[in-house]
Amino acid sequence: MGTMRLRWAVCGLVVVACAGGCRQRPADGADAEVVRRGSVEVTAELVEIPDKFPDIPMYDYAFVLKYRVLEVHRGEVAADVIYVGHYNPLKARAEAADARVREIGGDVKRIRAGDIHRMALEVPIDDYYMGGIINKYHGTAQGPIYWAVWTNRVVR
Amino acid sequence: MDKRFSWVVLTVLAACTCKAFGGNPLTELAEEVKDKGWIVFSARSANGSWDLFVMRPDGSQRRQLTDTPQVEEAGPRYSPDGKRLLFRTMKRGTVLDHDQWGFAGSLTVADWDASNRRSLGSEGEFTWASWLPDGKQVVCLTLKGILVVDLATMEVVRRIDRQGIFQQLYCSPDGTALCGVGNYRGQTWTIMRVDMADGKVNEVNSLQSCTPDWFSDSRRVIYSCRPAGQRANRGYGWTQLWMADAAGGEQRLVYGEDGTHVYGGALSPDDRYVLFTRCEVDGGGAEKAGGSMHLMRLADAPTIRGRSTALRKLHPETKDGPVLTLPRGWEPHWTYAELEY
Repeated sequence: MGTMRLRWAVCGLVVVACAGGCRQRPADGADAEVVRRGSVEVTAELVEIPDKFPDIPMYDYAFVLKYRVLEVHRGEVAADVIYVGHYNPLKARAEAADARVREIGGDVKRIRAGDIHRMALEVPIDDYYMGGIINKYHGTAQGPIYWAVWTNRVVR
Repeated sequence: MDKRFSWVVLTVLAACTCKAFGGNPLTELAEEVKDKGWIVFSARSANGSWDLFVMRPDGSQRRQLTDTPQVEEAGPRYSPDGKRLLFRTMKRGTVLDHDQWGFAGSLTVADWDASNRRSLGSEGEFTWASWLPDGKQVVCLTLKGILVVDLATMEVVRRIDRQGIFQQLYCSPDGTALCGVGNYRGQTWTIMRVDMADGKVNEVNSLQSCTPDWFSDSRRVIYSCRPAGQRANRGYGWTQLWMADAAGGEQRLVYGEDGTHVYGGALSPDDRYVLFTRCEVDGGGAEKAGGSMHLMRLADAPTIRGRSTALRKLHPETKDGPVLTLPRGWEPHWTYAELEY
């Protein structure tokens, strides 16, 4: 009987250890990168994807997306809705950096409407990124366009 | 009767001979341009690296200006007087990205024969540099703005907001305006013009356009464009050579051909001839060995080659003029200066 209990205890410990190991960081998206990069850090919900991301591997671009800000962790954000440019949005954030844009990343594998992201941002985008920008909100959006430096997924 | 028959035969023979030899449009074009200055370009040399070359506009008298296996050299441009060259020098093995080569390596200036070369600044400095008309200053495109740099001191003498321009910036021959590729009113890869006097910008042609360059009149721009709505190439389309008024409007096809992407448009110093490169892969082939270079008369625009069924339907006015095929290369630039290569 004692041996049985011991076995169950060991199994339990293994399950707990595995669960802890699999979850690399807390559900709020915080990690060592997102909390130190950029001048602004927010948790925000991706409201929509206004058009299909162009699949043109020969050309790099940033695509502007609309977010509803849920929480401001660092810096100042003037509005509840912000517009954020993501570089080569068809790529997982961890694989998006290249020769043109070196200092970006995160654990978001796929950008989907309705997802919540914890993001380290810079503003305005033109001060940090020099390349193609596809902005379907031109003429309707208010305020500056932010540049997504680090983008982690938040589990709610 | 016999005499009359002989005359007829002789006349027919003379006409055929004329057509076969004297009347060949390609031969005529080559003959017409062969003494009109020099074209400088970058190409892969026998040592495997990108080096600088010159040739006559008909492709003859090709000379290798540099033989530097330790570095890659690309994007040469003659100074306005033709006596100096400006180009980028990169570490051996650097892949020339068709969109980003102007950011790579360091800016180098040399005499017309590539002697007396000197690096201006360090790696990644003075990006996308092009001559101003006096040959004493260059204009550069950086993240922080458009910079006018004095070549003697390498000091920034003026700064202009880049206003979304992000690559391929060139100063007009009269120094009054700049053209480049940028983001404008939500559209990217738009050809933009910046007025040097007041910094105001306007769109020359929007969407899927790049590699702009100036006509010598500083009023028109030549550029590459992959118009939307093409069914060819599985809906991706082919990149064509276009021209437009720098103030915007009056877009006209210069050259198009289904099956190839056309880049690197450049004018002869008198705007009578057009240079360009053709490549089966998009981007102009800079990442490998460039494309084949070509020359046509501007008066023959638009010219369409190959079957190009849909393109011909769109441009029934095509003149199908002669197009010379020149050696492989990339980013050719033309001077009429008298140089003794």
